[in-house]
Amino acid sequence: MKKIFLVMALLIFPAAVFAASQGYLEVTAPGTRLLQLAIAPPVALAGPENSAFSKDIVDALRFDMTLAGPFNVTTSPVTEGTSGIRPGDFDFTPWKAAGADLLIKTGYSQANGNVTLECRLYDVVRSQELAAKRYSGSAKELRRMAHTFSDEIMRVTTGEKGPFTGKIAFVSTRTGNKEIYLMDYDGYNVQRVTHNGSINLNPDFSPSGRELIYTSYKKGNPDLYRRELFTGTEARISARRGINITGAWAPDGNRIALAMSKDGTSQIYVISKDGKELARLTHSNAIDVSPAWSPDGSRLAFVSDRLGKPQVFIMNADGSNVHRLTTSGAYNVSPRWSPKGDRIAYCRQMGNGFQIFTINQDGSGDTQLTTDGSNEHPRWSPDGRYITFSSRRGGADALYVMRADGTGQAMISRGKGNDSHPVWSPRW
Amino acid sequence: MTLQPSRHEGRLGTMVAVSLMVHLTMFVILTRANFFPGLKYPEAPVYYVDVVNLPVASPRAGSPAAAPGPAAPAPPPRTAPREMTLPATSPAKTKPTSTPAKAGPQKPTPETAREFEERLAQLERETEARHEAAAIEELKKRVAAGGRAPAGMPGATGKEAGSDYGSYIQSRLRDAFKTTIASQSKNPEVVVHLTIDRNGKVVRARLERSSGDKVFEDSVMRAIAKAEQNFLPPPRGGGFDQGFIFKPQGVGKK
Repeated sequence: MKKIFLVMALLIFPAAVFAASQGYLEVTAPGTRLLQLAIAPPVALAGPENSAFSKDIVDALRFDMTLAGPFNVTTSPVTEGTSGIRPGDFDFTPWKAAGADLLIKTGYSQANGNVTLECRLYDVVRSQELAAKRYSGSAKELRRMAHTFSDEIMRVTTGEKGPFTGKIAFVSTRTGNKEIYLMDYDGYNVQRVTHNGSINLNPDFSPSGRELIYTSYKKGNPDLYRRELFTGTEARISARRGINITGAWAPDGNRIALAMSKDGTSQIYVISKDGKELARLTHSNAIDVSPAWSPDGSRLAFVSDRLGKPQVFIMNADGSNVHRLTTSGAYNVSPRWSPKGDRIAYCRQMGNGFQIFTINQDGSGDTQLTTDGSNEHPRWSPDGRYITFSSRRGGADALYVMRADGTGQAMISRGKGNDSHPVWSPRW
Repeated sequence: MTLQPSRHEGRLGTMVAVSLMVHLTMFVILTRANFFPGLKYPEAPVYYVDVVNLPVASPRAGSPAAAPGPAAPAPPPRTAPREMTLPATSPAKTKPTSTPAKAGPQKPTPETAREFEERLAQLERETEARHEAAAIEELKKRVAAGGRAPAGMPGATGKEAGSDYGSYIQSRLRDAFKTTIASQSKNPEVVVHLTIDRNGKVVRARLERSSGDKVFEDSVMRAIAKAEQNFLPPPRGGGFDQGFIFKPQGVGKK
């Protein structure tokens, strides 16, 4: 009887939908257009004008909004003179005539060494204010204030906050050794994290963004370290015989998956954040490295050469149900699961270098994202809309960002030396 | 070797019955949803034509050849034709006119006139009753249709918005949508119900079905705001309600 009701429901539903759609008129248009986003020149709300402030504000907003994706960014398409930034202080007409959909207006003021930045986002077509924020801090925080408003713009226009206030940890040889550094996602405000004069590799953020794990050779063996970013406290959490590399923090913040060779060949293990061994996940005679957690912590992707060449595999978090993910290409490494859970980024050896791909977790939709030079170490932004990676397209290794579909690639490295192994922090 | 009927064969009758019921249900649903408009016979309005010849008020007996002398043509009866067009709400009380036909060879008797009036009143009552029944039946059909049929289709009540103003609004929206459309998903589609007042102003834009793509939905709302600036008022001084499906060009129907 239930089956009969089910069949009848299946028959009735399409008919009901058909009947409901009757009487509606379709409105269509070519769907390739980008939102026209105009950035007005910043104005001094109080005190003298500061061209350096204006440049920082506009540069940061323009970089964020250009990478964002839905926008075509123009700066200063309209000359307004000295109009204000608040509703009623200026006329929308010239902005409408310039074809703008959205308008960013900013103003700054200085007092007692502090800078106040006021930002407003307008819908030009509807002559309506969408967002208004005021930030205060030191002058060197001005770019960060602008990034914060960019996050707000993304929230208002797309429904999801942007990742532009996040940091990127990376390995750089700018001082001669491979040290860990931290910088804004657009390459500004670089801070050095390690000072051990040794080799430091594979940094990864804790889910809170307050701690970092990395492998360091500073005591001779590749051991795993954990560092609190705000206090600088460092602890060696895995110094087992052999390698202790490619650590990946679990989404729960309490466990770390890594590759260790204490029992022979490199295998995948899970340890607590204090270093206690919890489980061995793989039991092969091959080399298993580079574990990457799914966002819900139920599965891991990893690299294994158990079939002869390095390929990406997936297994449950307890080590069961191992199956191969990548079937194309002879050498696929460095997987990383998207925070949205739908795609896995990895790099494949092609010719003399590597290229970045993304693939669905069921192995379908294998898509190449990069073509120029050699590109490695893809890591997702916390919202899953962007990827940072290292590339050798300009000679030395440098860091880049791009959208998840491979468009909008832009270099963010601004120092000397080789930069590699980037990882994007959670939102701070 | 004997062949034993399997259990599956025993269930054949049940399956046939279920299949029959499912197909019957599908046919009824599709027919009710006007899925086969071509199969639905158009309902022609009912017209009543009285083929009964009404009696002449003052019939002339005899033959023209029998008329003595050059008789003048008989004048038409003065009362009966006028009363024939009036509804007979009560038995006719008019008495036979006392004016004799000037050229009539035979004078109608009072009994003939009375009979004529009674027959005429009876016929008019019957005709009126048939018209009333037909009108009531037509109203019942319209109520049963519920006004859900599209304008111009059988079952429509005549209150549906005409295609002209709807097409006009659709055209204005399409022009504006070309200048505002933006999206961050592949095949977004939203349904918005617009209520336009007698002055051509959008007093309500209700999102009936979301696409989950905020960029796209905002671009739809911008298109409505942009198009509204050029809306003409609806015809006949009334309001206008209509649902619109917004989607990028080339996206097929779901």
